Amino acid sequence: MSYREKENIINIISGLLITLIYGWIVFQRHLEGSINLTTDYNSWGMVFIIFIVVSIVARIIIYIIFHIINAIATREEKIPAEDERDKLIKLKATRNSHYIFSSGFVMSVMALAFGMPVYIIFIAFVIVGLLSEIVDNGSQIYYYRKGV
Amino acid sequence: MGKSQIKNNIRRLRFNNDEMTQQQLADAVGASRQTIIAIEKGNYSPSLELAFRIATAFSTPLEEVFIYENAEPPKKK
Repeated sequence: MSYREKENIINIISGLLITLIYGWIVFQRHLEGSINLTTDYNSWGMVFIIFIVVSIVARIIIYIIFHIINAIATREEKIPAEDERDKLIKLKATRNSHYIFSSGFVMSVMALAFGMPVYIIFIAFVIVGLLSEIVDNGSQIYYYRKGV
Repeated sequence: MGKSQIKNNIRRLRFNNDEMTQQQLADAVGASRQTIIAIEKGNYSPSLELAFRIATAFSTPLEEVFIYENAEPPKKK
């Protein structure tokens, strides 16, 4: 398995873990009553800002650990430079993930139009954001294996 | 992803060039070994620039490295 494929698998696992753990913590705080996510939309803003910071920090830590383990296992310290094929695969994967995100956005707006509560759109953002990331990394693995 | 119609002689040319490894060719043309593997297998058609760099690495004309199969001459009106 190439470095890029391993990197994509790590991205999928870390994205799932970070979102699920953070989502669980936020949901517990909502149940406890310390934040009200059904009517207080300002707290959704804080939830998203904290999520971005937590996500960046967690990913940096996960990447460092991944790079150390990979360097020990493969005895290759250098991260392979990105070439034209990597760039093309990344572009196609980003296109696929944008399709998923924009479809999810349209569906959540339609849900609002059909009378669903406003907080549904925020929950949809989280789910669709995670899905689009999985599609992005999954597409990259697919193109690396099957060809582009 | 279907197989490309562009076939190549990279494996043979590597062998004829002192059994050059995929990594050596990759370093010579500024691509990754994975990209060279994909090109050899016909899973990726390189850009014109990379194709020329590969041909230059073997000191051979481009058409000796890459062959376009089923190439039909343009139809005359």
